[in-house]
Amino acid sequence: MLSETVLKEIEEIKAKYPSARSALLPALYVAQREFGWQSEKAMQAVAQALNLPEAEVRGTATFYSMYKHKPMGRHLIQLCTNVSCMILGAERLVDFLKNRYGLTQNGTTADGRFSLVIMECIGGCDMAPAMLLNTDFYGDLTEEKIGEILGGYK
Amino acid sequence: MITITINGKEIKLEKPVTVLEAARANGIKIPALCAHEQLEKYGGCRLCLVEVEKMPRLQTSCTLTVADGMVIKTESENITKARRGVLEFLLINHPLDCPVCDKAGECELQDLVSKYGASAGRFKEEKRKTPESHEDRILARNMERCILCTRCVRMCKDVQGASALTIVERGGKSRMEPFSRESFNCEYCGNCHTVCPVGAILARPNIHNYRPWQIDREVETVCPYCGVGCSFILQVRDESIKRTIPKLGLGLNNGLLCSRGRWGYDFANNPERLKYPLIRKNGKLEQSSWDEALGLIVNKLQTIKNTQGGKAIAGIASPRCTNEDNYVFQKFLRTACQTNNIDSVSRLGFASAQRYFEDILGQGITANMIAGLKNSDVIIVLGGDPTAVNPILGLSVRAAARNGAKIVVIGNAKGLERFKTLKVTPPVFKEADVLEAVLSEIAKVKGPRGEKPAIDKRINELAGKYRTPEISGFNELKELLLSGKSVSIVLGTDIVQRTNGHKALFAVAGITYLLEARLYLLSERANEQGLIDMGCLPDALPGGRPLNINDFRKRFETSWGSSIPSDNGLTLMEIVDASRDKKIKALYVMGENPAFNIPNNPYVKEALSALEFLVVQDIFLTETAEIAHVVLPALSWSEKDGTYTNLERRIQRLRKAVNAPSGMEDWKIISEVSNRMGCKMQYRGTEEIIDEIADISPLYKGLTYDEITKGNCLWPYKGEPLRGVISEIPAAPEKSDDYKGDFYLVPEKLLFHSGTLSRRSSSLNRICPEPSLKIGEGHAQRLGLKDGDNVKIHASDGNLSIKISTDRYIKDNLVFISNNFEGRGVFSLLRYSLDPVTKAPGLEGCEIKIEKA
Ligand code: SF4
Ligand code: SF4
Ligand code: SF4
Ligand code: FES
Repeated sequence: MLSETVLKEIEEIKAKYPSARSALLPALYVAQREFGWQSEKAMQAVAQALNLPEAEVRGTATFYSMYKHKPMGRHLIQLCTNVSCMILGAERLVDFLKNRYGLTQNGTTADGRFSLVIMECIGGCDMAPAMLLNTDFYGDLTEEKIGEILGGYK
Repeated sequence: MITITINGKEIKLEKPVTVLEAARANGIKIPALCAHEQLEKYGGCRLCLVEVEKMPRLQTSCTLTVADGMVIKTESENITKARRGVLEFLLINHPLDCPVCDKAGECELQDLVSKYGASAGRFKEEKRKTPESHEDRILARNMERCILCTRCVRMCKDVQGASALTIVERGGKSRMEPFSRESFNCEYCGNCHTVCPVGAILARPNIHNYRPWQIDREVETVCPYCGVGCSFILQVRDESIKRTIPKLGLGLNNGLLCSRGRWGYDFANNPERLKYPLIRKNGKLEQSSWDEALGLIVNKLQTIKNTQGGKAIAGIASPRCTNEDNYVFQKFLRTACQTNNIDSVSRLGFASAQRYFEDILGQGITANMIAGLKNSDVIIVLGGDPTAVNPILGLSVRAAARNGAKIVVIGNAKGLERFKTLKVTPPVFKEADVLEAVLSEIAKVKGPRGEKPAIDKRINELAGKYRTPEISGFNELKELLLSGKSVSIVLGTDIVQRTNGHKALFAVAGITYLLEARLYLLSERANEQGLIDMGCLPDALPGGRPLNINDFRKRFETSWGSSIPSDNGLTLMEIVDASRDKKIKALYVMGENPAFNIPNNPYVKEALSALEFLVVQDIFLTETAEIAHVVLPALSWSEKDGTYTNLERRIQRLRKAVNAPSGMEDWKIISEVSNRMGCKMQYRGTEEIIDEIADISPLYKGLTYDEITKGNCLWPYKGEPLRGVISEIPAAPEKSDDYKGDFYLVPEKLLFHSGTLSRRSSSLNRICPEPSLKIGEGHAQRLGLKDGDNVKIHASDGNLSIKISTDRYIKDNLVFISNNFEGRGVFSLLRYSLDPVTKAPGLEGCEIKIEKA
């Protein structure tokens, strides 16, 4: 169940839209923050908070790949390997993450610190190779640079 | 006017519809797997492709709106090629297991593939594998066969309003899914199953037990369960009902059904059906011949009538029997038995309220078309949850909400929680006070209307003494009601079952009157209205004609060739009291189970056991039949002809679909007894009975089966409704109790059961196998209880072990148990005192303690 404060946060989101349904995507992010991922409980909690059918919440939550659909590490790396990034060496970065952190596609580090999701284009071709770390954007990546950046996320 | 050409044929259209609709309306077939008459456009399957001149590509006819001058071709080589391609794609993951699929023979995909080809696919990868799931209580899901047309999802969300289905994930992984087993809020209507074009959603009761082409006959009839009166086709094989099929365009349900109508038919196939007459000998019921049983009945009734007079005899009619049965029943009691002691369990709610409203507002006040609900802008729902009591009517309330109507719920109505605009929770058992306050507030703006002086006068009296209740939402409630231009009131019977129920009824009548609202009375049994119209009342003859007015009575006496006692008879609860006091010696029960269906079961049983002679006609050995002296096997609704009158007062035809192995029509048994008692009744069939009714009842004048079949038998038919209304509103001394207890027990009306009939339906038992105590989630938590826990409840005299089911929408301290399950009905614990005006039992104030078991 969601705490009073979180419910209030969802109420505030709801107030920004004409109907509760419109608040579904942001509310799912809030629940994900609280539950760690889109678990059955998280989706149920959102359905109750917005008085929406649980089926509808589930259909929406599972449609979007940017939600966490299983328990994941504290920090989520979303690395692009689409054309531009690939040409500029994203594959090397994939290898680097694997060798240095033991991270593979959809995997999580043993200490629960990082999870990796390989993405199809995050709109950063001009700074390829690029990644999102949680909601922070990083471009022009190299193995060295990525190591440094990750060091900043405990 | 829009003119288009389809396949060379010129078509003129009033309104801009889709090309698909235009084609269909003109008998031109276009294949369509995702489009459906009842559902929103989707445009997902791409099978309805057509060629439109001047448009570069093939167009989906289900989403394309016609424009003047359009020239359309629905078949061509190009189109066939495209459709074949689409089908090939659809078959990529389809298992092509038609030989073992129950849909084969009525599958839209199978038909299309056999027409357009693509029998072999070129796709080399593995097909998706998902085993058929039988985890659900009543529906099987085969996701390998699913073509993702989303008809089921749209049906469940937009029409049924349950929103139990969704498509999860996306792309190649997408599939239709119930949310999860625990939180799955499926209403088991099966409407998803109706619209699924393939064998992906199947009915478990029918898996592998017959093929569509093996059906012996199909008979159109009406649902036996509630007062909505949905139409469906009964499919029969080997004298057993296989399915009930709703059809687009058939009846007021237009292709939809609820769980009871869909699955509940199988009680008729139950092997426990009574097969022969029973007579109590040495304290035990033993098999007898019809002749012996009827002889005994005649003998007993004659003796009691001759020695004690007709007043010592009473009859309980049945809202599950046809108009014809009920007409013959009351005629028999009034003539052969010389008694007006006739009533039914409808007195518990519907009949009491209906009579009250007609007395003060005029006959026909509740005869409103269910379809009209959709045109309302404000709907007030109180006294019950229409989505459980009268589910198909409930769907109209939900549909109105989607059209923008404001739904105001007073009390608890779980099925409308996502559709309501406002919910007001009156203090327990104080609905009447809240309603009187609402009425008085409305009267300030709208009253007096001047049309019915008695009502205006009473409203005026109330205005002087009402108090604004301290409940949240009261002002909004008042404002909403006043804002309505087309107001409907949907009234359930819960508020009738109060000792001061008549006060709430007056307030509702007053609101109806001032707002010129449409009034809908929820009706739990199929023929409650019919039974009233047939004169199964202690104070009225057929057509609602008051018994104690000589002119009316004389007409019936002449026609029936017999005198009719002139005093009003006893109402249901009074019959029970008089039986216990041995004033009534003989009771004739037709198709009813009073020992279970009347509150305070122990008392009722004691009263019925005191009878000198109890006759029961039924299809099962009910609690009442068990204590009877003679039990006669009757026929089920599927085995007889006749008519039902639904809650909107539409008369509809029941048709015999199955030949019963044993038993006799209720009317036939009654006429046989009547004949032997010297009151001749020589009907050769139900048609002759309806002819007599049409001849004698001023209301059903000129009615014939032909006309009923045409479906236009709507109030006021060609009849003569009674115009007069009473000049004085009946009143009773005020009673005011305080309800400060922890929990109060009240009856619950379940969506999945109805009376004691549905207990014999194995499908409905599969959906809802046991009773539960419904309690607000907050209260349960406070008691340290969670959903599914077993508890023991203690009432003033009696207790019950039961599991609880929590409901987060219940905020007051009412707790609910239904009255369906053997030995565990709420009426075994509830006691009552009569509403002096309506003579309905007041069930308020049953305080209980709940203890963890
Ligand atoms: S049975 Fe009715 S409520 Fe259940 S999933 Fe199907 S359409 Fe929805
Ligand atoms: S289950 Fe049937 S109705 Fe539902 S999406 Fe699949 S094919 Fe369509
Ligand atoms: S709404 Fe009533 S009449 Fe219609 S199917 Fe359900 S129980 Fe039968
Ligand atoms: S029927 Fe037109 S796209 Fe499915």
